[in-house]
Amino acid sequence: MTEVYSIDPLIIKTPYEITYKHSYGKTSKFFTSLSSGKLMTTRCEHCKVTFLPPRADCPNCLGETKWIEISGKGTIHTVTTLYFSGERFLKDLPFQLVYVDLEGVDTLFLTRLKTKDMKKVEVGMKIKLRISKELEWRSSDVWAEPYE
Amino acid sequence: MPKKVAAVAGGLTYFSKARKDKTQEELAAEAARMALFENDINLAKDDIDGTIVSYFSDHFEDQLLFGSIIQDYLGFNPKPSVRIEGGGATGGLAVRDAYAHVASGLLDVAMVIGFEKMSEVNTAKGNEFIALASDTDWDFPIGGFYSGYYALMARRHMEEFGTTEEQMAMVAVKNRNNAQHNKFAQTNPKMNPFAMKDGGKITVDDVLKSPYVSYPLKRLDICLMSDGAAVLILASEEKAKKITDTPIWITGTGAGTDAMRAGDRPRTVAGVPMLPHEKKEWYKKLEYPGVHSFRAGRESARQAYKMANITNPLKQLDVIELHDAYTSSEIQTYEDLGLTRYGQGGKLVEEGVTAIDGDLPVNPSGGLIGAMHAVGGTGVMQAVEMLWQLQGVSGKFHGSDKTQVKNAERGLIHSHAGTGTYVTATVMER
Repeated sequence: MTEVYSIDPLIIKTPYEITYKHSYGKTSKFFTSLSSGKLMTTRCEHCKVTFLPPRADCPNCLGETKWIEISGKGTIHTVTTLYFSGERFLKDLPFQLVYVDLEGVDTLFLTRLKTKDMKKVEVGMKIKLRISKELEWRSSDVWAEPYE
Repeated sequence: MPKKVAAVAGGLTYFSKARKDKTQEELAAEAARMALFENDINLAKDDIDGTIVSYFSDHFEDQLLFGSIIQDYLGFNPKPSVRIEGGGATGGLAVRDAYAHVASGLLDVAMVIGFEKMSEVNTAKGNEFIALASDTDWDFPIGGFYSGYYALMARRHMEEFGTTEEQMAMVAVKNRNNAQHNKFAQTNPKMNPFAMKDGGKITVDDVLKSPYVSYPLKRLDICLMSDGAAVLILASEEKAKKITDTPIWITGTGAGTDAMRAGDRPRTVAGVPMLPHEKKEWYKKLEYPGVHSFRAGRESARQAYKMANITNPLKQLDVIELHDAYTSSEIQTYEDLGLTRYGQGGKLVEEGVTAIDGDLPVNPSGGLIGAMHAVGGTGVMQAVEMLWQLQGVSGKFHGSDKTQVKNAERGLIHSHAGTGTYVTATVMER
């Protein structure tokens, strides 16, 4: 039965659900490597640039990149604490997002920061990427934690 | 050589959090009717040669190919039509595309129809739909959401340049209070029957005390989500001169782009693309664009200024309508547009330069913070606002003379998508 929300004007409710079968293509290796505790990403040897997130193809020369392992150590480039979000993350609030500047990586990586004391987090603070023990095969399988 | 192109007429709807009284196509008709019948023009509906339809999301209405519904509803079949989509810059790209259609001679008279109806899903779902316009493999699954992305960029701007939350709050106050004299504005309950009930004037203190959404951005630092439509009519020189005594010429347009994931953008020392009035030594230590500045905005401005022969925008522009999705991004955009040096954007608002009575008023309409952000309609709204400003008729349409920038001859509109992924800048003049 159609659920009616209002009569004048007539407003009806329509639910919507969908399942995508999404391929990570050639970046699959990033996710599958996590199960052996490794942080892998890609590097263009020609342009001498390391990308994280990985790219199978270098945007500068359009050559193919190679997989390398990274340490996951780095510093916070910028940080925010969220008190509101998109619908599916409302349950996690409040949480922190950071761009991190990682050793051996040329791009900045956007990830969650997990810490006991959100108030102590500052730009420049040392962090290390951690890998989830229960992989969901999403970018949320890695996050940053403070690291000394 | 492209043909000369002029804006000749515009129309807007009342903007609202939820225009439950009308469908999307009925809102488009409301704006089209104003464009055709309330501007002082000599133009019949049948004189429109084709349309450019501007809307962002198929998700909000659960309807693909909505452009066809618009074309049919407004009675333009079987004439040519195209749908333009480019995130938050959809409207700016549509205006630019309409310019290209007319400048090339494909259309003599073109109607740009911009709209969005964002109210049919709840606000958190709406935010999620907008967040789908970020990388859904990497940036979205960690809890990505646009206010979060902009907060990260704002925080870096603060770190890099010393920009303050008070300066951001001043942008909110300026735009929200300008909107109190614009009858179309969503935050103006005195003049707009569809406005939010808790609208009205605000102070810096109100902004600073409003709840954090994503530090340093607070509720009043963030733009509206709107239902509504905007319609602009463009014409070739020959037609424009017959249609109106006050054509407003499009003299320059530019478009820039940058990486979907802001973290992938370069951090090149001394990498700022220079504008004619700038000096290399200003930026010799600055890593650019990083996540503190919008290279696409700079690139769009550089092209538009070159085309319009603008060598000093602060002096040569009289009014700007820019994409103030966030108070922080208005400050960042001042710098991208070269109104001040990189790092000095906060001071520009603090000194009142961009106030309605300042040297270069920015967002006299109220912008996205004060007036509306019905995504596909937004860039078109800016063009309509600029047309009325330069024709000197803003007071007539807004229902108050207080928004009219005196003797404005040349203005810029700026439309911006994603975290600065697509940006357009267009110069309009008398």
